[in-house]
Amino acid sequence: MSSRRSDTIEQGAAGAPLCAGFEPRLTAFVCNWCTYTGADLAGTSRLHMASNVRIIRLPCTGRIDPLFVIKAFERGADGVIVSGCHPADCHYTSGNYHARRRFAVFHDLMEFVGVDPRRITFSWVSASEGAKWRDVVNEAVANVRALGPFDAYRALAPEDEAPEDGAPEPAGEAVPTGAARSAS
Amino acid sequence: MSELRDIARAILADGRARVVIGWEDARRGARPVFATDPDDADKLIFDARCVHNLVTYLNPRRDNVAELGKIALVVKGCDAKAVAGLLREAQLGRDDVVLIGVRCGGVLEASDLGQPLALTPENVAPRCHECDVREPNLVDYLVGDPQPDPPRPAMTIDERIAALESRPLEERWAFWTEQFSKCVRCYACRQVCPLCICERCVAEKTRPQWIEPSSHARGNMSWNITRALHLAGRCVGCGECERFCPVGIPLSLMNRKLQQIVAERYGYVVSDDPEKPAPIGDYRLDDRQEFIK
Amino acid sequence: MSRIGVFVCHCGENIARTVDCAAVAEAVRDHPGVAFATDYKYMCSDPGQTLVKQAIEEHKLTGVVVAACSPHMHEKTFRRACDQAGLNKFMCEMANIREHCSWIHEDRGEATAKAIDISRTIVEKVKHNRPLQTIKIPVTKRALVIGGGIAGIQAALDIADGGHEVVLVEKDASIGGHMSQLSETFPTLDCSQCILTPRMVEAYQHPNIKLHTWSEVEKVDGYIGNFEVTIRKKARSVNEDLCNGCGDCFGACPAKRIPSEFEAGLGKRTAIYVPFPQAVPNIPVLDRQNCTLFKGRRKGLKKDACGKCKEACLKGAIDYDAEDTFVTEAVGAIVIATGFKLYDIGRDQPEGLKGYGEYGYGEVPDVIDGLQFERLASASGPTGGAILRPSDGKEPKTVVFVHCVGSRDPDKGMAYCSKICCMYNAKHAMLYKHKVHDGRAIAFYMDLRAAGKGYDEFSRRAIEEDEAEYIRGRVSRIFRDGDVVKVWGFDTLSDEQVVIDADMVVLATAIRPQDGVKELAQKLSVSVDADGFINEAHPKLRPVETNTAGVFVAGACQAPRDIPEAVAMASATGAKVLGLFSADELEREPAVAVVNETTCIGCMRCALVCPYGAIEQREICTVDGHVCGHTAYVNPGVCQGCGTCEAVCLSKSVELETFTDEQVYSEIMALGQWE
Repeated sequence: MSSRRSDTIEQGAAGAPLCAGFEPRLTAFVCNWCTYTGADLAGTSRLHMASNVRIIRLPCTGRIDPLFVIKAFERGADGVIVSGCHPADCHYTSGNYHARRRFAVFHDLMEFVGVDPRRITFSWVSASEGAKWRDVVNEAVANVRALGPFDAYRALAPEDEAPEDGAPEPAGEAVPTGAARSAS
Repeated sequence: MSELRDIARAILADGRARVVIGWEDARRGARPVFATDPDDADKLIFDARCVHNLVTYLNPRRDNVAELGKIALVVKGCDAKAVAGLLREAQLGRDDVVLIGVRCGGVLEASDLGQPLALTPENVAPRCHECDVREPNLVDYLVGDPQPDPPRPAMTIDERIAALESRPLEERWAFWTEQFSKCVRCYACRQVCPLCICERCVAEKTRPQWIEPSSHARGNMSWNITRALHLAGRCVGCGECERFCPVGIPLSLMNRKLQQIVAERYGYVVSDDPEKPAPIGDYRLDDRQEFIK
Repeated sequence: MSRIGVFVCHCGENIARTVDCAAVAEAVRDHPGVAFATDYKYMCSDPGQTLVKQAIEEHKLTGVVVAACSPHMHEKTFRRACDQAGLNKFMCEMANIREHCSWIHEDRGEATAKAIDISRTIVEKVKHNRPLQTIKIPVTKRALVIGGGIAGIQAALDIADGGHEVVLVEKDASIGGHMSQLSETFPTLDCSQCILTPRMVEAYQHPNIKLHTWSEVEKVDGYIGNFEVTIRKKARSVNEDLCNGCGDCFGACPAKRIPSEFEAGLGKRTAIYVPFPQAVPNIPVLDRQNCTLFKGRRKGLKKDACGKCKEACLKGAIDYDAEDTFVTEAVGAIVIATGFKLYDIGRDQPEGLKGYGEYGYGEVPDVIDGLQFERLASASGPTGGAILRPSDGKEPKTVVFVHCVGSRDPDKGMAYCSKICCMYNAKHAMLYKHKVHDGRAIAFYMDLRAAGKGYDEFSRRAIEEDEAEYIRGRVSRIFRDGDVVKVWGFDTLSDEQVVIDADMVVLATAIRPQDGVKELAQKLSVSVDADGFINEAHPKLRPVETNTAGVFVAGACQAPRDIPEAVAMASATGAKVLGLFSADELEREPAVAVVNETTCIGCMRCALVCPYGAIEQREICTVDGHVCGHTAYVNPGVCQGCGTCEAVCLSKSVELETFTDEQVYSEIMALGQWE
């Protein structure tokens, strides 16, 4: 799969034309020992890929809560990637087995509620699979690009109720005014 | 009925329990009753209006109930499953409660319909169709005559779920966002659920605030999805959450869907055997992972 | 109030070529909570680290973010620098803008925007970092070695020589393991017992080694530095303190026809016996299953049916009423060295394996395995070292050796190579030819794996000097035909079927883990792989550790191994254990879970999912000692920091330090600002 976005624009759902130049934003929750290291390897091997993904490091997929995914969508992510060690390879022995069940249930429920399953990519990427990470990233980005922005989720809250920007600060810190999210 | 009252009277008289929690006749239907005196045992009834899941009173966080002393609880089969859930999660020991099981032939969808009515496809609680415990297990006493199966509702919950699933993704999204926009975050669903037992619910956690407390569809989506996920493998299908919801959100569709998911993927059906492990928190090496790349 | 310093590294050209580092520093400088931001060519260099230290002092930084390479590269480096400057090292994190950004994108604008996002995200995380302290736990400086084969003995000796006490537990009556059954060892053909028995005696006599033979590990509690192990000392029926090894008891025993385990079934022993003459300890054990007296007792006889050994014993050491006893040992480290057993080709197989119907399920006479051949070749074996076939005691003139029986055969359930068989088959061919000069040694092989030092030369000798005939191909059937064992094979190099009328066949059966290893692994919270071998922590870089801190592994229980490897692994575990014992306290990273006892309701879902058994239920008592509830408690010494407990906790009552909910939340929220 090519990593240049102009080569991979696909039709949106039901053949509707896409917003020109829409670049999706994906948040990736990955485990430290396998996928994060696999992503490092992709870097060491200079495997170029789409730049739409931001990685959040966790110790293990066992640590990943569906609340993270929901919060990512609430904050404007158009897609999410969840990735960790292959079964039997978990650094902590069984974290990924528990994650597997947790995410199977979450995946099925999300689909029931009407969220397109292509917005959430689950993968097992080991520390030696730099190329696979690149493929997972590119494929996820292409899928989400084709689906279009997931503003629908964020917009479930009316404009004046949802805070635009600014992460909550610890007590005593000024609340940032921050730049508004730029239109894409 | 007399069997139930006799047992309750005896239990209170000899001190095996300090309070018998069951149902009594009320002006508009049945309602829970707390019998602390042996004479109060005469108030106890059981008929199709006894829809309430009284296991919610076993929540250790209900201090005012715990203060009454050792409880004897009247339970239907579905209620007994909830007790098994509490045992499974170390919230009480089997010896901490006396269980009086009643044979059940189904209940009405609502409890406030005056006199006991015969069950019809229109008034029966849809969840009774899926019931596999007309005779509760796990109990200390079992009273009542064997009951016939309840009538089939006009549309079972599974059929309603299938109908929803046959609609395209966008329509499902529209359906659920519309339903969840009604939610006012009263948390009645949580308060009445026998398995919602946390001291501090995650919805009340503010540092960090995973679930937005505002009652817009976005925060409500997060709340309802999270509650459903937390009940995966634990929900006994008693339907109380939907019955209590003041704005009529079809929570039974969501919770039953989760029962279907764990049944289909892990062969798990919620059981009144506390020894049977819950599916979430357990795993098999060959769990299906077709959704994982 | 956060005062975070951000240092954006150019990494020479590696980052700067694609990311505008100055722009990143500038964008982050205005971010709330950032007190100082700069960019520099080589942050990990000495001047780079000095830059960090100076900034900490000058700007009174409360946290440091180095936007550079992967934390896997240099997190330790920068944490050390912060520590030296007086800032708690856990307030320092790295933002990966090299492996995850500059090296994988071409567009400068995209890469720079992404680098800014990544840096901001980590700044937000660090705002919620806490000044943690490494956790210190005490260490009991005694080790437990499970298994008294060559690996176990070596590990025990190394640790004991290092000055610490070792408890060595062996489930058989004598230490020595399979190496004591071998005749000679490759590639030197030196006598196995001759090199082994001095080690066995040294272990037995070592003042620092406490030996429990005829014993098994019953239960293991605790965690690294603080294990409590319960050992079951099975009833020997012989008092170890009184016995002097005279042997009168087994001389008097009337039950003489019991198949000897040591002789691999080819010889016989008595009911009260020492497994072999050089056994250590030289104290017999009574096999109650086959003893006449005990058979009588099981039938309910009023009067004991025999008592000859007791009569014969002048020391009064025989005790028919002895029972299993339990011993508790406190240790700080455990070494698993349970060795191997050979795959049995019979019908009765554990789940996942198949037997060899093609070779007769082990029911064809004169088809034996490698250990049985060793006993034939051994001077102290059932035939006094003469190669005689079991069925009629005749000297076989044609012996076929079959490689890879079970090994490398996914169909039988064992896809792996057993590593040592090519070598011991060559050895067996040579030993056979040395003893039966006019015999034919024919070997069916797939590949010849002789990769060790002197190994290839050794196996060539079998072919070139001892005229062993090597046929590259597999054997499809083995069956009895009158007086011979028919072997149907194929020669792939000449492309011909081969039929051999053999007098005896030796099967190189696969190396399997010992019985009971799975249960032992569960007791120790270590995992086994799909084939049942103990899992090492990392196949390349941590081959003698397991994923359970404080539990190490040596020898064939981890994978098929030859003797030099088993010894090397054993010495490696010795080094690891001695390293563990080198300080009075163990320091470990504070990435542990902590329970909020106010909100925890003690449902113990966390305990269910913890891979290390680190979570226990604790009672909450009122001031006057009345139990009013219970919560979970995470043992910081055992917890390895996976965080699965936090994800299953419905009320979020357990937090994983270094990856708390606040930290993850702040990262997710920060990404909501991305351009």
